[in-house]
Amino acid sequence: MLKMTHLSKVYRTEVVETYALRDFNIDVKEGEFVAVTGPSGSGKTTFLTIAGLLETFTGGEYHLDGVEVSNLNDNARSKIRNEKIGFIFQAFNLIPDLNVFDNIEVPLRYRGMKSAERKQRIMDSLERVGLASRAKHYPAELSGGQQQRVAIARALAGSPRLLLADEPTGNLDTQMARGVMELLEEIHRDGATIVMVTHDPELAARAQRNVHIIDGQVVDLAEEPRFHAVKAGNRE
Amino acid sequence: MKLHPILAALRKHKAGTVLISLQIALTLAIVCNAIFIIGQRIERVNRPTGLDESNLFLVTQQWVGAPSADTADGVEKLDAMQREDLAALRNLPGVTSVAPINSLPLLNSSWTGSMSHDPGAKLGGNDNTRTAYYFTDDQALDTLGLKLVAGRAFTAGDVQHQGFRDQPPRPIAIITKALADKLFPNGGAVGKVIYSDGSNAPTTIIGVVERMQTPASGSWGNDFAWYSTLIPTRLDANFARYAVRTRPGQLDTAMRAVTPLLYKVNPLRVLDDDSVRPFSEIRAKAYRADVGMAILMGVICLILVAVTAAGIVGLTSFWVGQRHRQIGVRRALGARKIDILHYFQIENLLIAGIGVLLGIALAIALNLWLMTRYEMTRLPVSYVLVGVLAMLVIGQAAVFVPARRASNVPPVSATRAA
Repeated sequence: MLKMTHLSKVYRTEVVETYALRDFNIDVKEGEFVAVTGPSGSGKTTFLTIAGLLETFTGGEYHLDGVEVSNLNDNARSKIRNEKIGFIFQAFNLIPDLNVFDNIEVPLRYRGMKSAERKQRIMDSLERVGLASRAKHYPAELSGGQQQRVAIARALAGSPRLLLADEPTGNLDTQMARGVMELLEEIHRDGATIVMVTHDPELAARAQRNVHIIDGQVVDLAEEPRFHAVKAGNRE
Repeated sequence: MKLHPILAALRKHKAGTVLISLQIALTLAIVCNAIFIIGQRIERVNRPTGLDESNLFLVTQQWVGAPSADTADGVEKLDAMQREDLAALRNLPGVTSVAPINSLPLLNSSWTGSMSHDPGAKLGGNDNTRTAYYFTDDQALDTLGLKLVAGRAFTAGDVQHQGFRDQPPRPIAIITKALADKLFPNGGAVGKVIYSDGSNAPTTIIGVVERMQTPASGSWGNDFAWYSTLIPTRLDANFARYAVRTRPGQLDTAMRAVTPLLYKVNPLRVLDDDSVRPFSEIRAKAYRADVGMAILMGVICLILVAVTAAGIVGLTSFWVGQRHRQIGVRRALGARKIDILHYFQIENLLIAGIGVLLGIALAIALNLWLMTRYEMTRLPVSYVLVGVLAMLVIGQAAVFVPARRASNVPPVSATRAA
């Protein structure tokens, strides 16, 4: 589903080159729930933005759903983002001017979907996250947990092949975080491929597999004793 | 059309939307009416007088120590002096013809009166038609370049002379077609008799010229701007005006030669810098206020449009900055650059649409007010339609740069802290 080989991302200024990712290799199979962990500045978010085609990379290869994406133009990347990827952001990123229904409708409109199908998908996804009664509410009228559920509904409405979550519970209290995490697990059980970036070892432990990044590279936790405590096992 | 989410977003930004819509509405209302007024002024300024303007100049001179025009002897002497001048001017190289004349179109020095079908008609009565008199001679039509459309021109035998204050009978006259149509709507003015200025003495119309404007250039003369009457009479006074027509390209040379020539004929006269003027100068002076007003209104229109365009650029730029992250989210969710560009363009179209709808009502209201308070005619629908189209195009042009900047917001902005 998602395969990066010898991938690198370099940020260049006039005086310095900074490697955000270096010789980065990862292979996420279809239907996997992978947690990506690592300390601040390790390259987790850079990996996620490149995986979600929000940013380009400097070198290496990236195959998404069998397509090599490095040579795609902006329109093609937009189309893939719209049709194959669902995003769940830490800050929810709902559009404050639009109500819940209209927020979820945004990516469906860009897909050119017909009104009746859009409505059906929106209501189905809202049912799934338990917020069907809040369709006409604005984001400011919802709690943080509810907003993140709306964001998940927005990601699910387009039936993406890959769900990318960036610290999805980072702005939530424990109870709300647990609810969101349970929802992600439920979505995974239904067959979705999920890649979740988190710095929370407890959340990472609930994923099917953990990938740890340090200094822009994937490291093998087995060779890093200090990480044994958070190494993901076959918990399921 | 993705109008619903754009309208939903606009409802959340009412203040900016309403202000820009009002600005567009006011601009449309003012600019439509101003352009209409400018158009009317330009039309007024450019209307042809009926003369061969490019080859015509006017000489205005005054004799010093001239005999009085109040006595028959004085009138005869003054007429002899005038004929002497005319003969000299007609022999000037490059000059094709010269006519004595009391005034010229647009000179704002006129002798006006009225024409009636009945003798002794009370001045100001319903049967009176206002007219401007040109007292001239048999060379008038050639000199002024007037086109005779019916009847005949004056002959030398038709020409009389009179003291400036005398009011002898006017047995014949040539009138303009506009005046002929007014006096005789069924045609056949030539040979008909009219009575001038409440007189009992008949005046027979011997000819009709196509067009000749009256001397009045102000709006007070609009009602009778084309009702001119030519009388074959030299007016004798201590001053005289001569209309001089030259061959093409000879105007400047002939004008330069006039002053020394007339001084040579009779040095006891006054000729200053303004005494010899080309008709183009007379026209320019007559319409100076109109041209000035048109330029001023044009500048005001440009400033208004520029301020409105700047307002649109400013508001859109502000909104682009304010929605930077939101734009990134849209891009992350699959919006192409063109989708973002279209979003802001459609948003502007909606705001401008509200503005122009309001502007149409305001433009009509302003026009109706101007019609009741000033001499304004009804604003043609075409001006409003062109104005609406122009405002929409200006709006789209103004929004383009900030909208393109918005379309270049990278999708990764969605992941960055607000």
